[in-house]
Amino acid sequence: MRLGFFLREALGSLRRNWVMTMAAVITVFISTVILGSVLVMGENLDRGATSLENRVMIEVFIKDDATPQEQKAFQQKVLAMSQVKEVNFVSKEEALDRFRETVGDYITKNLATNPLPASFEVYVKDADQVDAVAALFYDEPIVSHTPGTQDGVQYAAKTVRRMLRTIDLIRWGMWGATALFAAAAILLISTTVRLSIFARRREVEIMRLVGATNWFIRWPFVIEGFAAGLIGAIIGALSVYLVNWAVADWLKNSVDYLDAYVYPLWWQGDTWPLGLLPTLALLGGVLGAAGGLVALRRYLRT
Amino acid sequence: MIVFENVTKTYDPDVVGLQDFTCHIGKGEFVFLVGASGSGKSTLIKLVLKELEPTEGRILVAGRNLGTLPQRKVPLLRRNIGCVFQDFKLLPNKTVYENVAYALEVVGEPRRMIRRKVPEILNLVGLGEKTNSLPHEISGGEQQRVSVARAFVNHPPLLLADEPTGNIDPETAVGIMQLLVRINRTGTTVVIATHDREMVNRMRRRVLQLDAGRLVRDERRGSYDQTPDDLEEGV
Repeated sequence: MRLGFFLREALGSLRRNWVMTMAAVITVFISTVILGSVLVMGENLDRGATSLENRVMIEVFIKDDATPQEQKAFQQKVLAMSQVKEVNFVSKEEALDRFRETVGDYITKNLATNPLPASFEVYVKDADQVDAVAALFYDEPIVSHTPGTQDGVQYAAKTVRRMLRTIDLIRWGMWGATALFAAAAILLISTTVRLSIFARRREVEIMRLVGATNWFIRWPFVIEGFAAGLIGAIIGALSVYLVNWAVADWLKNSVDYLDAYVYPLWWQGDTWPLGLLPTLALLGGVLGAAGGLVALRRYLRT
Repeated sequence: MIVFENVTKTYDPDVVGLQDFTCHIGKGEFVFLVGASGSGKSTLIKLVLKELEPTEGRILVAGRNLGTLPQRKVPLLRRNIGCVFQDFKLLPNKTVYENVAYALEVVGEPRRMIRRKVPEILNLVGLGEKTNSLPHEISGGEQQRVSVARAFVNHPPLLLADEPTGNIDPETAVGIMQLLVRINRTGTTVVIATHDREMVNRMRRRVLQLDAGRLVRDERRGSYDQTPDDLEEGV
């Protein structure tokens, strides 16, 4: 294979047919941006859901007259449960502090005594087990219920579960959208390449008459397609990264309970061994090259 | 060099290209193919290039049976046949030099040889000055000379020309024809399909006349039209 010659041929025609080159680059760019956005949004949603699941917490309010020993014993008993990940003790003073932070000084400074109970914050390992775990606490003697109710144990069961279900739904929707956009991207790219080759079919015919083998004709087109695809996809991947970074930055500063995430550009272990965005860039190149091959087929038939 | 044995080529639905055509063109010959438009001249050339397959019959080129030549060997066949067309068929984005060089790149000629051979052949066809021009910047006659240079740069044993002077003025045409004669002198078989009556009459070479796909005349030193003399000679 005469790599030098093919590279020169490919570069030359990329430059000469710059309008078509631009069309191909822009097509791949747009496809990459759409695909990349969907994937990155999906990933953020995943992380959001995970962090939400991690935050499923049961508040157990305890009686004011419980002794430190009783508290300690209860804490250890809860920690020993296999479903429990973590237990934090919130004393009456801390509870008051937190209350003060949310409502302001002027209410709390008029209080004669501290009306807020101490509590334990129990984090479970699996959000699905929250009901079962909470049920274990209702009859504990240390728990302070308002008489006739079970309000000493509180957790956001229904809300959390509904949110998780919604997120699951959105996640599936995202995957559907990804598949759809991927298909659209492939179609768009192959159409663009076909157009550009149609414009040059006379050239291909002449090459064949001079005795060029099919691969001799193909290589420059394949390199062209790869280069155009790669350039478009790299610009697209970088744009997705920058926008993601800007949005995540803005979210972190304005909505503090949201754990928005800047996608790592070059490394992302499990799902994308090469990193999502480099994978996208490479995919753009391969798609471009494949587009070239497929579109040429019609003109290389003898 | 070229052997046609009872070759028939019909196009869909039933347009006749060639009809039971038999002829033998020897090594080093210089042959004119004449006949009205649609008489089968171009079909014949396309069959030799294996651009078309015959409906019936057998074609041998340089001893190889085209019917059994696998498709992947077709490029090799074409490298041994120089081609010149009425519309030149130059690559529009390549310079004169690059157009000729392309034929050598295709056969894998080393760069060093390309740099030597291309200027040589361009000087031979009288285009030494125009190496860096693009096809649209030079005249039709010059473009045809580039195309002849490209056809001959590999020194193929066979050169086919389909109406090589069809698009250029008579004076320039003479130059092109002289070029083809020179090429023929190096031992290359030259087959020219043409409408150029004056040229054929002046050159007095072998003439094959086609009519509706049939061979109607084969003369060793023929003219464009069938003359009473020829009939008396009973060729």
